[in-house]
This record gives sequence, C-alpha cells and structure tokens, in this order.
Amino acid sequence: MRLPRLFLALVLVIPSLTARAQQVPADSVKADSSRVVEMSPIVVTATRSEKALEDVAVPTTVVLAETMQMQGAVRLSDVLVTVPGLALFDDHGTGLQVQGFAPDYTLILLDGEPVIGRTAGTLDLNRLTVQGLDRVEIVRGPSSSLYGSEALAGVVNLITAPAAEGFRSALGGRFGSFGTTDFTAEVEAGRERAGARLLFNRYASAGYDLTPASFGTTSPAFTDWTADWRSRFALSDRVLLRLGARATVEDQEGAFALSADGTEVRYDDEGRRVDWSLHPEARIRLSDRLRLTTTLYGARYRTETRYRRQRDGVLTYEDDFDQYYLKAETQLDALWNGRHLTSLGGGAVQERLGGDRYGPDADGERPAANQTYAFAQHEWLPLRLVEVSASARFDAHSDYAARLTPKIALLVHPADNLRFRLSVGSGFKAPAFRQFYLAFTNAAAGYSVFGATRVQEGVAQLQAEGVIDHLFFDPATLEEIRAESSVAVNIGGSIEPFPRLAFSVNAFHNNVRDLIETQPIARKTNGQFVFGYFNLARIYTRGIETDATIRAIAGRRSRLDIILGYQFLQARDREVVEALETGTVFGRNPSGREYRLGPGDYGGMFGRSPHTATFRTVYAHTPFGLTASVRGRWRSRYGYRDLDGNALANRDDEFVAPYAVFDATVTKTVPALGPADAEIQLGVDNVLDITRPTLVPSLPGRRLYAALRLTL
Amino acid sequence: MYRRFPDGGFTPLSASRYDATNAETLTVRTMKTPVAFSIFFGFLFLLTGCDSTDAEPEPVILDVKMAENVPADPASGRDPDTGASISNNLFTLYDLEAGSILIPSSQTDAATRQRDSTSTAWDIGFKGTTIIFNGGTSGPGEAAAQMLAQPFAEVVEAPEGGYIADGENTSCPEVFTPVGPVPGSPYAICTGSDNGWYNYNAGTMLLSPIPGRTIVLKTASGNYAKIRILSYYQNNPDPPDASVPSRYYTFEYVLRPDGSRDLTSE
Repeated sequence: MRLPRLFLALVLVIPSLTARAQQVPADSVKADSSRVVEMSPIVVTATRSEKALEDVAVPTTVVLAETMQMQGAVRLSDVLVTVPGLALFDDHGTGLQVQGFAPDYTLILLDGEPVIGRTAGTLDLNRLTVQGLDRVEIVRGPSSSLYGSEALAGVVNLITAPAAEGFRSALGGRFGSFGTTDFTAEVEAGRERAGARLLFNRYASAGYDLTPASFGTTSPAFTDWTADWRSRFALSDRVLLRLGARATVEDQEGAFALSADGTEVRYDDEGRRVDWSLHPEARIRLSDRLRLTTTLYGARYRTETRYRRQRDGVLTYEDDFDQYYLKAETQLDALWNGRHLTSLGGGAVQERLGGDRYGPDADGERPAANQTYAFAQHEWLPLRLVEVSASARFDAHSDYAARLTPKIALLVHPADNLRFRLSVGSGFKAPAFRQFYLAFTNAAAGYSVFGATRVQEGVAQLQAEGVIDHLFFDPATLEEIRAESSVAVNIGGSIEPFPRLAFSVNAFHNNVRDLIETQPIARKTNGQFVFGYFNLARIYTRGIETDATIRAIAGRRSRLDIILGYQFLQARDREVVEALETGTVFGRNPSGREYRLGPGDYGGMFGRSPHTATFRTVYAHTPFGLTASVRGRWRSRYGYRDLDGNALANRDDEFVAPYAVFDATVTKTVPALGPADAEIQLGVDNVLDITRPTLVPSLPGRRLYAALRLTL
Repeated sequence: MYRRFPDGGFTPLSASRYDATNAETLTVRTMKTPVAFSIFFGFLFLLTGCDSTDAEPEPVILDVKMAENVPADPASGRDPDTGASISNNLFTLYDLEAGSILIPSSQTDAATRQRDSTSTAWDIGFKGTTIIFNGGTSGPGEAAAQMLAQPFAEVVEAPEGGYIADGENTSCPEVFTPVGPVPGSPYAICTGSDNGWYNYNAGTMLLSPIPGRTIVLKTASGNYAKIRILSYYQNNPDPPDASVPSRYYTFEYVLRPDGSRDLTSE
C-alpha cells in the first residue's frame, strides 16, 4: 500500500523548483505503458493544494499540454470541446456548458486566479491561447466552498508551465482555412533557483460568412495578440516568489444589416478588447508542516464597440465597458500528521466598473463593490482506504446578502484499481453587474430596467419626472438581493478492471434556487413597465457522465488509445415542470391546432442536448516520431427557440437537429533539423463539413491547417 | 373570413380579405351544414315520432370569424429627439356582433370618442397588450370575460359563471415582490407577460399569444362568444417576427347571437 497522498502537499511545497507538475514524485505510480493510467498527474484545483488526480474526491479531468498540442488545439475552446461531458454554448461568444449550466456558472481561472470579462455571462473561450500552458484542469460540480462566486457548475483552471532549467526558445506558425493564422514565439531560461519565460502569440482570422445570401459576416475578422510572462525566483530554500503577467489585445471588424421601416441599413461593426492581469505570489515554507501562500492579483478588462452606418459613415452606436478587479489573498496549509491536512485562507476583492451602461449613480459614484471572504478546508484520512474532505467559505459582499457555502467529499479506494467518490456541496453565483448596477431606459421602446443598487434612485427619478403611473410597491422596502445558489450531489467512481481499460462514471444532481429574473416594479404612463431584478426561478440539472479509456495497442514502438465519453443530461425549470403536470400548457402546430402538453413533451431548457457523446483516438508510433489523432463529438437535438408561444421547445421546428463533428490531426517530429527540433502538423477540423448557418454560428465548415514548430 | 348575421346573410368581415370569387363558394359551404342537419333531424323526428315540444333544439354550428390587423394603438410617429415611438395612448373599440371597428385608436376627436365609447355598440377594446371589455370600469355595457386554459376548438360551451367585469378581477397574478405580493391590475383578462393572453420573450423580443388560452365573454348585449388571439404583429407573420410593426391584433372568434351558451363551431 502506498503512502497516503496527503504527503504530496509537503513534498511539493515548492513544486516548480523540482520540475513540471506532471512529473510526479517517487511515491506515485511508476510509468507503465501497458497501463492506461501511466501515472496520475498532479492537480491543484479541487483542493487548492497539490494532489494526485486519482486521489481527488470530486470529478476532475486534466488535459495535458502534450495532448493539446497533438490535437492541434490553439484556443481554450479547442481543448474543452473534446472533453467528455462538456459542451460549448454560443451566446455572445463561445462559452462552456458544464453539467447543463449556462457559461455564467463556470469559473475560469488562470493559475488559480479568475479571468475576468464576461459578455451576457459568457466568458469567450476563444480569448485564451493554450500556448504556454502545462495543463488544463476541469472540476465538475460546485467548488464555491473554496472559490466563491461562479464556481457553481464547475471550475476550469489553466495552469501555466513553470520555466524549466536551461535555455530554450521556440517558434511556431500555423496557417489554415478562413485566413486563420496562429504564431507563437517564446523564450525560456531557468536555473535551479530562478527561471522565466516570455511568450508572444498572434492569432488572427479573416472571418467567415455562413449566410452569403444575407449581408454581413457570421464571424468577424479579428487579430488577437497575447503577451505572457511567467517567472519564479527562490529567495531561499523556504521562500519562492512567482510573478505572472499577461496582456491581450483584440481588434475585430465585422458588418451587419438592420431593417429600419422596411429597408435594409448596413453597418460596420468595430470592436476592440484590451485586458491584462498581474499576479505576484509568495510561497513560504514556515516549517516542515506549515506553508503560507500570499497572492496579489489585479486584472482589467476593457471593450469598445462601435457601429458605423455604411451609407454615410455616421457613428450610430457606441458602447464602452471597463472592469477592474483587485484581490489580495493568503492561504495557510498545515499538515498535522499523515492523516490531517488543514487549509485556511482569507482575502478581499475590490471591483470597479465603468462604461456607458454603468454610469455614476445619483451621488456621482461609479459602480464599485467590496468583498471579503474566508475559507477553511480539512482533509482527513480516518482509515487507510477512506479520505474525507470538508470545506466551507464565508463571503461578505457590499451589494448582496452574505453567505456561507459548505461542501463535503468522500473518497473510498478499497483497491488500487477501484475508487468511489461522493461529494455534496453548495455553489453560488453572485448577481451579475447588470443585476446590480444597470440603470437603463430603452428610448425606442420606453421601458426601464434597474439593477438592485439603482432601483430606489431610479424609480424616485422617474416619479419626479412624472412618468410613473402606478407603483406596485415601494422599492425602499426591497430585501437585499441574494446570490443564486445550488445544492449539488456528485456520486461515482472509477475502475481499472484490466490494465488496459479504465472506466469512470459520475451521476450528478444540481438543485438551483434564487435564479435572478426581471419583474415589473411599476407601470409607466406610456403603458410600459419599470423592471427590477428578483430572486425567483428554480431549476434542476441532473445526469450521468461516463467515459472509458482503452489502450488498444501497447507495444514498445507504438500505442493506440481510444477514449469514449457519453453524457445524459436533463436541465429543467421547475415552474415549467409543475405547469406541465397540472395540464395548463399547450402547444400549437403549424396549422393552428392546439394540444395539451405533458411532462414528457418538455424538450428541456434551451441549448441543452439530452445526449452527447465524444470519442478520441490517439495513435503514436515512436520510431517515426508520428502521432495521429481522430476526434469526434455528437450531440442530440436541442431546443433553441419558441414558435408556438408557450416559451418551451416542444415542436420539432424548435430544435436544432442532432449533428456530429469530426476532427483529425497528424503530427511528425523531426529530431534534428539543423540546430532545431521540428514538429510538423497537418489537420482537418470538421472533416464532414457540417454547418448550421444561423443556429450554430461558431461551427464553420471544413477547415484545413498546416503547422510548423521549431524548438532551439 | 365571413360572419353570418342572425338573419342568415353574409358579409365580409374585413375588407382586405374580401374576394368576390370566394364569396360564393364560402357561402355555399357554410350553408351546407345546417341543411344537412335539418335533413338528419328530420329523419329522427320521423323515426322516433316525437312531437316538436320535447325535441332537441336544432344545433347551430357557428362560423369562426376572423378579425385581422385590428390596430391597438400602434406607433403613430417618432419622437424627433429620442427616437422613441409615439402613440395616441387610445383604445381601439371593436364590435364583435358587427365584426367591425367602432372607434380606431387613430380616432383622436374627443367628442366622437366620448359618444361612441359610452355606448354599448362595442364589446372589446385593445391598446397595446391590454384588452378591455365593455362593462365594469371600462364601459356601460354588461360585458364580462374569463380566460380558460383550454384550446379554442375544445370550448364548445361557454361556462355558466366565472365572468368578471373589468375592475373587478381580484385574482390576477400578483406581482411577486420580496415585501409580499402586490395585486395585479384588476382587468378581466390580467395584464402582464404569462398572466393573461401572451408571454414575452426578452431574448427574441417577441410577444406571443399563449397557446391553449381561450377568452370566453359575454358581449355588451349579453351574448356569449369565445376568442383566440393569433398574433400581435401586422399581417400575422409566420414565423413570428419581432421586427414587424406590433400592436396589430389578429384574432378569431365565435359569437352566439341568441344568448345560448353553446359555442360549437366548425
């Protein structure tokens, strides 16, 4: 029996000094190519401390740099789309759907710190390059007990590779269909005590148009620049300093047409995004059993959007958005003995907003929020084969009700090849900025919407203007808005019945309440309403996610892995289910006939496929330095619109038909090309040329690409 | 498309849909049913030998009438400063018995509006998403209505009770607030998305009539009718299209002119 893995926390007190994270210390499984699980990668997201993947009690997936490179991944979306149980979701960018939740409910981290900047709740996964990453960790199920808001459905953590020892520089370029290019240049230098890496990436596309009959592009042309710095410096054996910094700029140009009073008016659409983050960290080993980590993190996200009428070049729409995020945090890890590990932490966050939609309030104050929090986690091995971890976090926020978020997880491993996992926890998501700070009156339509902090003054102002006809209630009596929250259960396990077969399964149930919706507060004299935000809706998502890994060929010279994944999902609004059960919901067929709907006719929440499947095969031939990979993903139909007025997807023409997308890549490594090692890659995305022009704008047709990477 | 007057004559409901070539065929088709029924019942009389005093009344199969593009205070212009649409903020008052508009929302002459709106010549009024009936706080008539969660075709008999006049509806879904519920506006047909006849999708900005909702009413003169709203947009676009001018109702209805509650329609 191996040593309890809790020791890892100390072994890896200064992990980056030893090596890259997937090089596991001696007590882990030895690399064995005849096993599917050659060695368990070390992960940090699930417990905020280093732990072998197989010993984590919550469902966690890791994608290593090697896999990303072999699959020809360029942006984060390319990586996540191949992970079983994850789906992408188009809504103001490409977002991530975890366990049936919209993108707002998954936290995206870069080296453990939140990536900021969401549009309508979506953090566009195409913003993030995979260059410079060591691995991507995906934790499913709520992790709010450690990370707070947004970690309700899951957490995706991008872990950068620490600078290795020696000097290395690399150049890579890729050319593909639709004028898509990706160039990377990186320089890395390191010694035992210090190291740094600087990386530049340029990603650009000429855009594409899936609907040539109508004016405008489906995806605009863009150029995205990323500069990334990661460095480490050991002051002494006990103190490690790290600094991460990143800046990105994206410019995009598109065009669209609007119909105004029956005629088409064409516009140019220009956008610019600038965001940066700075992340210094000090990790101090106080004793053999105590470690202190202090982190500062600052980030800014700024966008500019301009619409110009093509006819006369007049600027018709202008929208700027500006967000600052500042955070200070400290965490203490204490290893009492081989059986108890405690982590305690706390911090403060300040956020500030600017831009056209978030103007100053009546006192001239810009929207700003302060938050303080504390968390605690205890990991305990009551028995050799059982591990329990309990955590809780308290968040106090200036604009929503304070909350306590607990979680408990259990891992039982009766044998080395068998593990059971159970976790019960709560997750939450703070109200979005618009739900706090919006003060918006639609001039054309005449209605008004106010965020929770703006309702009182907004309504008072409208009353003073004399445009309120009837006030349904006094906004001064409003209760403080609450975060949306969930209670989730994840239960499953993994088994390796044979060395060349691994199988894992997880069943989940998320019960969500207090989802925020708009409701009228007052009627205006023009007959329109004044809306506010309230905690109203309740939903649930439940399902099963499962995957199997088969090592079909396990020779000394070659290897073939097949990875299959499947997810069953139900995402439902409780109010809708209740209405369907009472028989008050009807459908209307295209000829106008109306018919009563039952619970079985509910197509689920929009954008959720009940069934999704993925497969991935990787063939590697060592002597030739050749790897080939084919990947596929299929999703069953999903609702996307309502045509018959019941606000549900129930009719066939309200669903996107099922589709499957296949990608393939071949990579050849050439050991020595002059002074450099070279890697050549050819790939085809969407081999079958599947498109859903207006329904899935992020799915362009077949794309070919060729890439070359040189390492000096 | 055609409504039948109690005297059996036919007249086009809406001028825009009037088509002389179809008029004959439609007249013939709608005439056929009662003829067939009277022959059938004639046989029954012969077979059973019943006398006419305890005979079943002859069922009248009513026509479904269509009203199209009834303006409900649509935009009459734009504010030159803000671009906001301007409307007259007036109701269109509709006479179901005559199948025509009594006063459009574009009629701004106060004296005319006063004269007509205080008469019992109209049954139902439209302004934006609000629907009123000539009774209670809305007018001098005895109109009252209720919303049934039943498909239009399945409503074959108007309920005996349950009719509410405007201003008297205390059961409109409350506006939910953290300080407690606030009563909705007391119209017979409740206002607000998902409370009455429509729901509004903020994502598509589309207002859709809820399927399986039928308004059953007593008209200003006490006859029974049922109504199904089909569209809120001009020319009833299919599929629904939010970019089309709104506040134009298309609805179909069945009116029983003799005070009976039987609303069996074709």
